[in-house]
Amino acid sequence: MSIIGCESSGFHTLFTKAVYSKGVAESMVEQPILQMKDIRKTFGNVVALNNVSLSLNRKEVHGLLGGNGAGKTTLMNVLYGLYKPDAGDILLDGEKIQIRSPKDAISHKIGMVHQHFLQVDSFSVVENIVLGTPLANNPRLDLAPARKKIGQLAEHFGLEVETEARIEDLSMGIRQRVEILKALYRGVKILILDEPTTNLTPQEVDHLFHSLRAMVNAGMSVAFITHKLREVLSVCDRITVLRQGETVFTLGRSEADEETFVQAMVGEEMDVGDSLIFSRQRGDESQPAPAAAEPQPPTLRVQDVCVLNEAGLPAVDGCTFTAHQGEILGIAGVAGNGQLELAESIMGIRPLAAGEIIINDTPVSTAKTVDLLQDLVTYIPEDRLQDGYLPTATVAQNLILGFHRKPTYNRHGFLKRRAILQASAELISEYNIITQGPNDAAANLSGGNIQRVMIARALSYPSQLLLAHNPTRGLDIPSMEFVYRKLLARKESGQATLLISEDLDELLLMCDRIATLYRGKLVGLLKRADFDKYQIGRMMSGVTNGK
Amino acid sequence: MDEFGGQFVSFAKLVMLALVPYVLASQGTMLSGRTGIFNVAQEGIMLVGASAGFLGAYYSGSLVVGILVAMVVGGLFGLALAYFTTTLKMDQFVIGLALFFVGLGLSTLLFKIAIGVTLQPPLIPTLDAVPVPGLSKIPVLGDILFNQNWLVYLTVLLSALLYYVMYQTSFGLALRAVGENPKAADSLGVNVTLMRYGAAIVGGMLMGVAGAYLPMVYTGTFTEGIVRGRGWLSIALAFFGGWSPHLIFLGSLFFAGVEVLALRVQVGGGVSIPYQFLLMLPYVATILVMMPALKWVRPPAFLGRNYDREKRTSV
Amino acid sequence: MVNENAGRILGLDYRKIANQTIPYVAAVGAAFLAAGIFIALMGFDALKAYNTILFTSFKTTNGMVQTLLKFVPLVLQALAFTVPFAAGKFNIGGEGQLIVGAIGATGAGIIFSDLPAVLLLPLVILSGALFGAIWAAIPAWLLYRFNMNEILTTVLMNFISFSLIDYVATKVWRDPAAGHPTTIPIGQGGQLPLLISSPPLHAGLLIAIFVAVVIYIYTDKTSAGYELIATGANPKASRVYGINVPRIFILSLVLGGVLAGLSGAIEVSGSHHRLIEGLQSNYLLLGLIIGLIAKGNNLAVPFVALFIAILEVGASAMQRTMMIPGEMVFIVEALILVFVLLSDVVRRR
Repeated sequence: MSIIGCESSGFHTLFTKAVYSKGVAESMVEQPILQMKDIRKTFGNVVALNNVSLSLNRKEVHGLLGGNGAGKTTLMNVLYGLYKPDAGDILLDGEKIQIRSPKDAISHKIGMVHQHFLQVDSFSVVENIVLGTPLANNPRLDLAPARKKIGQLAEHFGLEVETEARIEDLSMGIRQRVEILKALYRGVKILILDEPTTNLTPQEVDHLFHSLRAMVNAGMSVAFITHKLREVLSVCDRITVLRQGETVFTLGRSEADEETFVQAMVGEEMDVGDSLIFSRQRGDESQPAPAAAEPQPPTLRVQDVCVLNEAGLPAVDGCTFTAHQGEILGIAGVAGNGQLELAESIMGIRPLAAGEIIINDTPVSTAKTVDLLQDLVTYIPEDRLQDGYLPTATVAQNLILGFHRKPTYNRHGFLKRRAILQASAELISEYNIITQGPNDAAANLSGGNIQRVMIARALSYPSQLLLAHNPTRGLDIPSMEFVYRKLLARKESGQATLLISEDLDELLLMCDRIATLYRGKLVGLLKRADFDKYQIGRMMSGVTNGK
Repeated sequence: MDEFGGQFVSFAKLVMLALVPYVLASQGTMLSGRTGIFNVAQEGIMLVGASAGFLGAYYSGSLVVGILVAMVVGGLFGLALAYFTTTLKMDQFVIGLALFFVGLGLSTLLFKIAIGVTLQPPLIPTLDAVPVPGLSKIPVLGDILFNQNWLVYLTVLLSALLYYVMYQTSFGLALRAVGENPKAADSLGVNVTLMRYGAAIVGGMLMGVAGAYLPMVYTGTFTEGIVRGRGWLSIALAFFGGWSPHLIFLGSLFFAGVEVLALRVQVGGGVSIPYQFLLMLPYVATILVMMPALKWVRPPAFLGRNYDREKRTSV
Repeated sequence: MVNENAGRILGLDYRKIANQTIPYVAAVGAAFLAAGIFIALMGFDALKAYNTILFTSFKTTNGMVQTLLKFVPLVLQALAFTVPFAAGKFNIGGEGQLIVGAIGATGAGIIFSDLPAVLLLPLVILSGALFGAIWAAIPAWLLYRFNMNEILTTVLMNFISFSLIDYVATKVWRDPAAGHPTTIPIGQGGQLPLLISSPPLHAGLLIAIFVAVVIYIYTDKTSAGYELIATGANPKASRVYGINVPRIFILSLVLGGVLAGLSGAIEVSGSHHRLIEGLQSNYLLLGLIIGLIAKGNNLAVPFVALFIAILEVGASAMQRTMMIPGEMVFIVEALILVFVLLSDVVRRR
C-alpha cells in the first residue's frame, strides 16, 4: 500500500513539506500519469463535452476551473466510469484503458469524491467505506481489519472519523472525510474531488488543502474541480480551464495572472471589467451598490423563532433578526445548520414551535404559504429538484406554480390558457430559459435551466420580500451575473431580500449585512464594513468569542 | 394431553402449514424491495404459480416438478419486472400492475386451455408430511414443528439463510446499499443492475412457489380465487416486518394465525358472528396492525425508484 | 422557441394528435398479432377470432347496446383510477367502492322503496356515490394519518367488501327465491329510465358521459385540476408553493370513490334493480387497464373505454361461438397496455 507506505514521515511532516514545496518543475518532465484525449459526451441534443483533453501529472494537484455547465463534473464522471463517453481515449501511464463503470475506475486506482456525497445514510461510517469490497466471514462479518486500516489512514492524512457513527448523524465536514477515506481505503493513486469546498468553512477548506498536499507528497495525483479561482490559485500546481464543454487552456499556477483565468472562464462575450462577480477579485470592495445611509423600515422581522425538524428536535433555536427595505441580508452557515427550516418557517411551510414572524407589520407566523405568495414573499428553494420543480408537467405549468390562482391566470376557478402561455413565453425569453416553448415537457430542461425557472418564478411576481436560498447554484457565470443584477435592482427599488447561501463569497459580494447560523442559532451579525471571511468562518463552526 | 392441549397442537400445526405462502411471497417482496424494486405483482405471480405449478404436477405426476415449474414461471415474471424497470426505466407500479394483469389472465387461460371447463376438475395429491427422525418425537413441539411437509422446513431455513446473507455478508451489505442509495453502491463498483435483476428474479421465484403451494396443500386443483389476496397481504407483511427477514417471518406467523383462526371459528361454529365478518378478519387485522407498525418501520430509501447512472437531474 | 404553428390546421395540432395516436395503433396491432399467433398455435382460426372480437358490437343492435352497457361501468372505473392517479395516488379499490356503492344504492332503494321516482332515483344514485366515497375515505385517512401505502389499503378494502356484499345479499335483504346471493329488488322509482326499451339501454349512459366530460374539464381546465396535476408531478414542491397536498391526496381518492360508487349505483339502478353478488364483474381490472392505456389522460379515457367495451363484448361472443377462452382477450388488453407503455420507451430514445 503505497499511501500508508510513508509511515515514518507522518502527517505533520508531510504537511510542512507540502506547504513549502512546489513539485511542479520536476514532475513536468515525467510522463503524465493520466491523459484524457478528445473526450466527447452528449446528452440528447446537448453537447456537454466537445473533444476535451486533460493531462494529469504525477504528484500534482490539478485544478479544473470553470463555471457551472462548463463540463468539469461531466469530464470527471467520464473518468470515473459513471458516464460513457461518445468518443475519446483515456490513457493511464501511457497505455489506453477502458473505463466502463466505477468498478473499472477503482481497479485502475482512480477514486472520486462527489459534490453530493454518495453515502448510505443509515449505514455506519465503516460500512460505507468497505461497501463493495470483499470481506471475511468467520462466520459473522468481520469488520475489525477494515476499522484498523481506516484508523491508520485517518491518522496519516488528518481525516479522523468515528468508524461506528451513523452517516446521517454526522456533519458535512466529517461526511466529506468519509468520502475521501473511501477512496484512500481502496488505495487510489488518482483522486478526483468535485467542488469539495461547498460545505466547508474557510478553516476546513485550509485543512482540506493541507490534506491534499499530504496526499500528493505521498505520491498521489489530485484532480480538483471548482468554480472558484481563489481556490485553484491557492492549492493547484496546474490549472485547466473549461468553458461550455471545451478546454480553453492548461497553465501552471504562476504562468498567468488572475485576469487571464477569469476571462478564460467567462469567454470573450462577457466584460469582466464591468462584472459584479469579479469585482472583489479586482479589489473593488465598494461593489455592489452601497447600503442606504438612513435606516429603512423593516420588511421582515423574525423574533425568537424556534422550528423543529422531522425528528422533533429544534433545528432553528431562537433566531431574531430583521431585514429592511432596500437591504440584502445574508445568512451564512454550513449546510444543515437550520437554513432550510428557517426558510420554510418564513414561507409558512413549517409551523413555528415558538416566536413570531412579521412582514410589513402584519404577523404571518401562522399564515399559509398560499397567502404569503400573494404579493408578500417569493421564494427560491434550495433544492430545486425536490422543492420547486414539476418534472412531468410542462414548462408553463412550472412557471405558474404557486401563482396559478392569481387573477392573471385564473377566472372563476378556470385557468386562463392564453394568458398563461403568453406570460410563460415572455418569461422564457427574459430569463433565457432554453426550451422548445411553454408547452415543452419540463423533463427536457437541464439543471441550469430549471434553476432559471426557479429564478423567473421568484423574481417576476411582485413581492415585499425575496427569500433566496442558494439562488445561483447550478448557474453559469453570465447567469449568476444576471441574478446578482436582478437582486441589486430589487435593492435599489427598495425591496428586501433575505439571501441564505452556503457560498460565503456570494454573501460577501452581495450582502449589506451577514448573520451566521450555527446549529439553529444566529451567532453573529456583521455589517458590510466589518466583513471578515475568517471571522465568519469561525462563527460557521460555532466559535463565537474572540477575533 | 387434555382437550385444550390437543386443540392447541392442531391449531399450531395448521398455522405452520398456512405460514409457507406468506413467508415465501413476503420474503420475495422484501428481497427485491431491498434492492429498490417494489414488486406489486405478487397476486398475479402467485396465481400463475398456482396454475402452472398445478399443471406441472398434474402432467408429470410429481409435486416437485410442479414446484419447479412454478419457480421458473415466477422467475420469468421477476425477470420481466427487472427488465422493464431496471433496463427500460419504466414506472415500477405501472409495470407491477401490468404484470399482475398478465398473471391473472394467464393463470386461468393456461388452466382452461390445458384442462378445459369441467365440473369435476382433476386433482393432484397434496404434499405429505415428512417427519424429521428423532425431532418429531419431542412432545408437543415435535408434532408442530417437525411433522410437516418439506416446504415448511424449507421456509424456515430460507428465512434464516436470508437473515444471515443480508446482515452477515459483504454481499448482503451491498444488496442493502443498492436499495438505500444505488448511486453510492454503483460508485463503489457494486453492480446495481445485476443486483436488481437477481433480487427480482429470486423474489419472483419465491412468489411462484408460494402460489404453487396452495393447490398442493389446500385444494388439490387450481381455482380462480385460490390466492385470495395473499399476494397483496405479503406487501403488507414486508412493511409490517420492517423489510427484515426475521421480522417478516414473525409477522407471517401472525398473519397465518389470523387466517387459521378465522377458518376455525367459521367451521367450528358456536360463535354468533356471521361468517362473513370472520372472512374479513385477515384484511381488517392487517390494516389494524399496520397502523402502529408503520411508525417505526423504515422502508428502503430508494424503494420504488429506478436508478439511471447517466441521469443528471436526479441526485 | 420553435415555430409554434407548425402542423396546425384550424387550431388543431394534427402533428401532435398523430404523434399521440400512432403508438396506440401500433400497440393494438402488435398485441393482436401476438395473440393471433397464440390463437393459431392453439389450433383456432385467428382471423375469425379477430372478426368476432372486433365486430360483434357493430353487427346487431343488441351487440351495440351490450357494448354501451359495458362502457358505462368501465369509463367510471377508469376515471376512479385516473383522478387519484393524476395526484400520484393509485386507487386499486374501485372494485370495493363499486360494491359498497351498490350496497348503498340498494339500501336506499329498498328502505325508501315507496318514494316517487323524482326523489328515489336521485337518492339511490347519490347514496351509491356517498357509500363509494366513504369506502375510499378509509384508505385516504390511513394514508393521511399513518402514511399507509394506498395501493395496499385500497386492495384490502376490496377483499373486505366481498364479504360485506355476501352478508347483505344473504342476511340483510336476501331474496329467498334466488339461488345465488341476491337481494330483493329496489323500489320502482329507483330504477333508471330506459333510453331504448328493446334491447334495454338505461340512462346510466348519459350519466357516464356527463361525468366523463366534467372530470375532463376539472382536471384539464381548472385551477383545482392544476393543483391535482402539480401534486402528482411533485408533492413536495407543490407543498412548498402553497398547495394543500394532504387535502389533494384525500380529495382525489375520495373523488375516485365517488366515481366508483356511482358505477355501482348505476349497475343496481340501471341494470339489475337489485344487489347481486358478483355484479362487480372484472370492471376494476379493465378500468385500471383503460386508465393506464390512456396514461391518465382523461380526454382519452372514454375512447379507450369504448374500445375495451367492444373487445369485451367480442370476447364473450368468441368464447360462446368459438370456444376460445375469454381470458385470451384479457391477455390481449394487458398486452396492449404493455405495448403502449413500451412505445414511451421507444420515443424516449
